[in-house]
Amino acid sequence: MRSHMQNLIMALFLLSPLAVSDVAAESLLAGEEIARRINARNEGEVVSRFITMAMTDRSGTERVRETKSIRKYFGKEKRTIIFYLSPSNIKDTAFLTYDYPEADRDDDQWLYLPAARKVRRISASDRGDYFLGTDFTYEDIRKETKVGIEDYSWKTLGEETIDGHRCFLVEEIPVTDKMAKELGYSKVQSWIDAEIWMVRQAKYWDVAANPLKTLQVREITLIQDIWTAHQLSVENHKTGHKTVFTFKDVTYGQSVKDEMFTEDALRRGY
Amino acid sequence: MARSYTACGILALAGWLIAASALAESTPDETKSSQSSNHRFSAVLESEAAYGMARDRADKLEMLLEPQWEYRWSDDTRITGIARLYTEGFDHLEPGRLSQGEVAPNSRRLQLGDRTDIELREFYMRTRLWGMHLTLGKQQVVWGKADGLKLLDVVNPQNFREFILDNFDDSRIPLWTVNAEVPVGGGNLQLLWIPDRTYHRLPQAGATFAFSSPLIVPQAPPGVTVNLRPLERPHNIMMDSDVGMRFSKFWHGWDLTVNYLYHFADFPVLFQSVLLTPSGATVTVNPRYERNHLIGGSLSNAFGNLTVRGEAIYNTDQFVLTTNRRDGDGVIKSGEMAYVLGLDWSGIQDTMLSVQLFQSWLLHPGDGMVRDPLDTMTTVLLRRHFLNETLETEVIWLQSVNQGDGLVRPKVSYELRDNLKIWTGFDLFYGDRKGLFGQFDRNDRLVIGMEMGL
Repeated sequence: MRSHMQNLIMALFLLSPLAVSDVAAESLLAGEEIARRINARNEGEVVSRFITMAMTDRSGTERVRETKSIRKYFGKEKRTIIFYLSPSNIKDTAFLTYDYPEADRDDDQWLYLPAARKVRRISASDRGDYFLGTDFTYEDIRKETKVGIEDYSWKTLGEETIDGHRCFLVEEIPVTDKMAKELGYSKVQSWIDAEIWMVRQAKYWDVAANPLKTLQVREITLIQDIWTAHQLSVENHKTGHKTVFTFKDVTYGQSVKDEMFTEDALRRGY
Repeated sequence: MARSYTACGILALAGWLIAASALAESTPDETKSSQSSNHRFSAVLESEAAYGMARDRADKLEMLLEPQWEYRWSDDTRITGIARLYTEGFDHLEPGRLSQGEVAPNSRRLQLGDRTDIELREFYMRTRLWGMHLTLGKQQVVWGKADGLKLLDVVNPQNFREFILDNFDDSRIPLWTVNAEVPVGGGNLQLLWIPDRTYHRLPQAGATFAFSSPLIVPQAPPGVTVNLRPLERPHNIMMDSDVGMRFSKFWHGWDLTVNYLYHFADFPVLFQSVLLTPSGATVTVNPRYERNHLIGGSLSNAFGNLTVRGEAIYNTDQFVLTTNRRDGDGVIKSGEMAYVLGLDWSGIQDTMLSVQLFQSWLLHPGDGMVRDPLDTMTTVLLRRHFLNETLETEVIWLQSVNQGDGLVRPKVSYELRDNLKIWTGFDLFYGDRKGLFGQFDRNDRLVIGMEMGL
C-alpha cells in the first residue's frame, strides 16, 4: 500500500512538473511581485455601484449612508466620484479624486458640501485622514482593492488560509517615516488570495506601532468576468468603531461620460 | 418677562430635541431615500433657538421644515422641488407682516400670520440637450471659492434676517433662472439668464439685526426730517434681467474660473436730496437698484498640506454713502477692485486651519466717503473633528482691520444619531457701533439647535 502511494505521488510529480514548479515559485514570490499582481488584476475600465456605508461606534449606535460611486480609468489615471444619496441631512455631499500613476505626483481631490453649495479642494496629504467619518482613509478609498506599491517595502512572510482560500501573508512597511505619517500606518500585514490576487484580510498598525485596525474583504464573486468584493469591513481597535461597505448593483463597462469626473459634475450631483 | 420667554424657549427646544431624538431613532428604513424608485422624497427638519445675552431675552425660536421631492425622468433628466415651512416663535427677526418689497411677486413667501410662512425654495428641471446641461427654474447658483466672504457669490441675493449668522444655504434666496452649461475647450461654460428681479432682504427698523451702521444707513443730523420714498424696483422682465457667464477649467492642477455678471446690485442705493424750507430741512431718500458689471475670476490648488484659494473681481459701479454736504445725491459712484486670498492648512489629522485676507479698493474715491478707499478684512477658521466626525468643534473669527470690529463664533456640533445633529455655540460681536460688526455689539447670543433628516 505504502509502495503504491509512493508510486502514485512519484507519478503525479513526474506528470505535472510545471504545476509543481508554479506552486514552488509562487510560494517564493517576492512581496513586491505580489503587489504588482494585485495591481495588475483586471478591475474594469469603468465601474458603477451603490455602496451602503454602515458605521457603528463602541456603544452600538449605527449611522448608515447610501452612496453612488463611479470609477473610470483615463489611461493609467483613475478617477472616482462618490455621491451621497441619504440620509437627507448629508444628501448631495460628493467626493471626487484623480489618482495619478506617477509616484511623485500628488493626487487631486475635491469635496462638495451641500451646506455651502461649494466645491472645496482638499489637500492630497490628507490621504491618511479618515474619509467622512468612516474607518477607511482617503487613501484606502482611492486605492479600493489595489495597493500603493511605491509607498511600502514589501516582504512575503508565508502562506495562510483565509475562509478556505490559500493566501500569501505579506508585510508592508512604509518606505520612510514621512510616508508612514502621511498614510497613518507604520506597518500593514495583508493576506492576499493566491488565485485571484485580491486582499482578503489586512491588519494595520498606527505610527506608534500599536494595533490600529483590521480589514476584512468578503463576498468576492465574479461579475462580468471581474473579481468583485461585495463587502469591506474595517474594525478600529483603538476606538471600537466599525465600518462596513456593502456594494450593490455593481456594473462594469457602462458608458460614463468623461465630464462626470469634473468639479462641475460634483456640484450638479447624481 | 424676558426671562420667562427665555425659559419657555429653552424648555420648548429641549422638549423638541427629546422628541426629535426619539423620532430619529424610530425612523424606519422605508422612509429613507430609495434608489430603485423614480421618485425620491426626503425632508430636513431644523430648529434653532438663540438667547440674546446683552438684551437678556430669547432672540429666536425658529423651526424650518424643508421637504424635497425629486423625480428622475431618465438618466439625464430630473425634476427637483424644495419647499420650506418657516416659523419663528418670538417674531424679533422679521417683526410683523413682511413687506417683501425687494422680492419679485412670483418669488414671494406665502405668509400665514406674522410668525409663519411657506416658500417654494427651489423648483427646477435639470436635463441634457444638444450636449448642454440645462437647469431651468428656481435655483441657487453659487460662484467662488471664499468662505463667508462674498465677492463672486453674488448671483443670488441674501436674506439678512440674521445678518451673516444664518448659514448661506438658508439665507441665499433662490432665483428663477435659465442655467446652461456647455462643454467648451476642455472646460465648462455656464451661461445664466435671470429674469427674477429679487434682491437682498434687509431687516426693517425694529428687527434684531436692523442695520444702523453709518457705513450702510445715512445718518440724519438732529432736527432734520427724513422722508423715505418707496423702493424703486426694476420693472421690465426682459430689459432688467441679470445675465452671467462663467468659464471653468482644470488646468495643470489649478481650478480656474473666469466670471462675468451684468446685474442689478442687490443692495439699493440710497440717493438723497435735501430740501430747505422755513420749517427746517428735509432729506428725501430715494432707494433705487443700480446696474453693475462684475468681472472676475477664481482659483484653487493644493500643495502638500496647504490648499490655496482665491477670488478677484472688478465692479464697475459701486455706490458709497458720503457725508459731504456739497454732494448732490449723497452717494459717490466708483469702480471697485477686490480680492480674497485663502490658505487652508491641514497638517494635523482631522484639523483644518483656514485664514483669509480680503481687500477692496475704491478706484474713484470722493470727499466725505463713509468708508476708507482701501478696506481690509481677515478671517480665521479653526475646525477639528473627533469621534469619526460625529463631534465637530470650530471657531470662526472675522475682523475688520479698518474699523477694528469683528465677530467670533465658537461652535460645537454632535451627530447624535444617524440623521440627527445638535449644536451649540456663541455669536459674539465686538467693536465700535459704527462698524459693520460693531453695530450688533448688543446682539451677542447663545445658540442651540438641531437638524434632523427625515
